[in-house]
Amino acid sequence: MPSIYSFFRYIPFVVEGTLWTISLVLGGLVIGFFIGLSLALVQSFGGERLKKMLNIYIWFFRGTPLLVLLSLFYWAVFPSLGLELSPLETSIAVLGMRSGAYQSQIFKDSINSVDYGQILAARSIGMSNRKLISYIVLPQALRISIPAWSNEYAVILKDSAICFALGVMEILTRVRYVSTATGLALLPYLFAGVLFFILTFAGTGVMDFVYRRAKIPGMLEGLR
Amino acid sequence: MKVVIKAENVWKKYGSTIALRGASLELREGETKVIIGPSGAGKSTFLKCLNLLIRPDEGRICIDGEEITSLKADIIRLRQKIGFVFQEFNLFHHLTAVGNITIGLTKVKGMSKEDALEKAKRVLKMVHIGEDLWNKYPAQLSGGQKQRVAIARALAMDPLVMLYDEPTSALDPGLSSEVLLVIKDLSERGITSLVVTHEMGFAYEVADTIAIMNNGRIIEEGSPEEMEYMKTKEARNILNRWNGMKNGVLA
Repeated sequence: MPSIYSFFRYIPFVVEGTLWTISLVLGGLVIGFFIGLSLALVQSFGGERLKKMLNIYIWFFRGTPLLVLLSLFYWAVFPSLGLELSPLETSIAVLGMRSGAYQSQIFKDSINSVDYGQILAARSIGMSNRKLISYIVLPQALRISIPAWSNEYAVILKDSAICFALGVMEILTRVRYVSTATGLALLPYLFAGVLFFILTFAGTGVMDFVYRRAKIPGMLEGLR
Repeated sequence: MKVVIKAENVWKKYGSTIALRGASLELREGETKVIIGPSGAGKSTFLKCLNLLIRPDEGRICIDGEEITSLKADIIRLRQKIGFVFQEFNLFHHLTAVGNITIGLTKVKGMSKEDALEKAKRVLKMVHIGEDLWNKYPAQLSGGQKQRVAIARALAMDPLVMLYDEPTSALDPGLSSEVLLVIKDLSERGITSLVVTHEMGFAYEVADTIAIMNNGRIIEEGSPEEMEYMKTKEARNILNRWNGMKNGVLA
């Protein structure tokens, strides 16, 4: 009969996995942010042909299971490009590319929610497209996108657990190891659940704080 | 007086709808011209064509002698010669009243932040926006205040001409008159203005010239005094319909 006390000495080992999970999430979110924002800008301001090409990227990453993407890029795509990436690097890259496809939809919607009148006004005072995007559209669109972006954080955090498939030493990989070593199931997996809950709660809490700080005075107050 | 805006035979089509059918207009330095006409006459489209916020399908538009409709035109530079005030204010929501003005001065004109701030304060005073409102965001301002900030934003860029696209149609009568008084004040200071409005009282009181637009073109124009002697029946009909509205707007 496995002793639950045997689990306790593995707690630091599992908690250390949190750092790997955070690396996956932050790496994926940051890469996804730049990809997503670029895609959204092209979708909102770019030419039709480019939009269609980028739609293929978006549909590919949104329509393919993460496990398939991880395997595809780790075993086939990156090696064929001559890139020797570690499981952690591959996982961050794939999470980022996939998140970029989802984030592009978040940013596209928030860019489109900046009313066209403001774009006309910016043009009327002589702003170029680059300037009006930088100084008028993005400062508003990024604020608007924070709640949806917070949701993307929660999604990518939970998706990061799938990276155990490549052997990335994140929370789930370590918990599976501990479960095998101790013969326990409930406690390690429950502990993993608690860690994910704390990370979700803390991350979305930070995003909520940023959203409140970044909110434009007078706007949307009536809706809260 | 030199011609600031010259539009010749401007056409614009939206699908099968023809919005402009050869509209032409000339605006001279220091002149205040008011365009009146029924809804759907093409007034807003015409005004937006003048600074190429809408590109006309045909026709020629010159700003200060330079053709803005030419494919080689430096539109961004030419637009800075035209101040544009929109019906729906179109203030930048994320910026304060002062920020709405300084953004153009710093990012377009390359002015220093300090100089831009000084200028913003000066133009806000010109449109009667008090110091207590300078750091308010658009959502914290009334409609009339928003429109006056929008006028200040356009004015701060030192345009050769101000275009007003139905600047009071989103405002109730009380707020309309505070905006119209500002436009009247600027016009009396000699700022060249082209105003699209339904406010007939304002047109008769402030305009040097009233242009009547219908069916996508300017059908006739003249001084307020000449309005009673319009040559075409079409213009007389429009004026007869509208003259009942000319009293009391700026009272």
